[in-house]
Amino acid sequence: MAKAAVRKPKKKVCVFCKDKVDYIDFKDTSLLRKYISDRGKIRARRVSGNCSQHQRDVATAVKNSREMALLPYTATAR
Amino acid sequence: MGSTLARHYELMVILDADLEERTVSPSLDQYLGVVRQGGGVVEKVDVWGRRRLSYEIQKNHEGIYAVIDLHAEPAVVAELDRQLLLNESVLRTKVIRLPEPKKPRQPRRVAA
Repeated sequence: MAKAAVRKPKKKVCVFCKDKVDYIDFKDTSLLRKYISDRGKIRARRVSGNCSQHQRDVATAVKNSREMALLPYTATAR
Repeated sequence: MGSTLARHYELMVILDADLEERTVSPSLDQYLGVVRQGGGVVEKVDVWGRRRLSYEIQKNHEGIYAVIDLHAEPAVVAELDRQLLLNESVLRTKVIRLPEPKKPRQPRRVAA
């Protein structure tokens, strides 16, 4: 009758820390596309699982990429 | 080579897609003369070619992308960027300062 209330949160490890990435390239759109939603919004840290430093680097890279029209600011919803 | 403040930059340019793709690298090279005169070094010019823009820029749906890797002083790069933007067939530019490859490890905490 009672729901299993306690969901064990999966501990995510930042992929960039794991690979020891120190520069996230704004030109690498295939990588950055993994961190934006299909609306073009940047995925939250709790979704992407990045650490704060790398999440910030990703966000900066996405923003640079948008300025150069490599990624959309907005994408039409499907 | 005697420049003291030469830094590693990456310059990305979006050009009007109406240009001939073959004429892109010679005409870019003309602009890069500024860098060479200013004591900088152009490492690499990479013309990506025509690419669809994610959104319209000045009524253009397409653009020719080019990425230039260079070492130069900040003032030289600023001048290059200024000159590029004066050209009407340049839709957009972006200058990124790349991280220096070698980083001397600093001791994070020095015991006092």
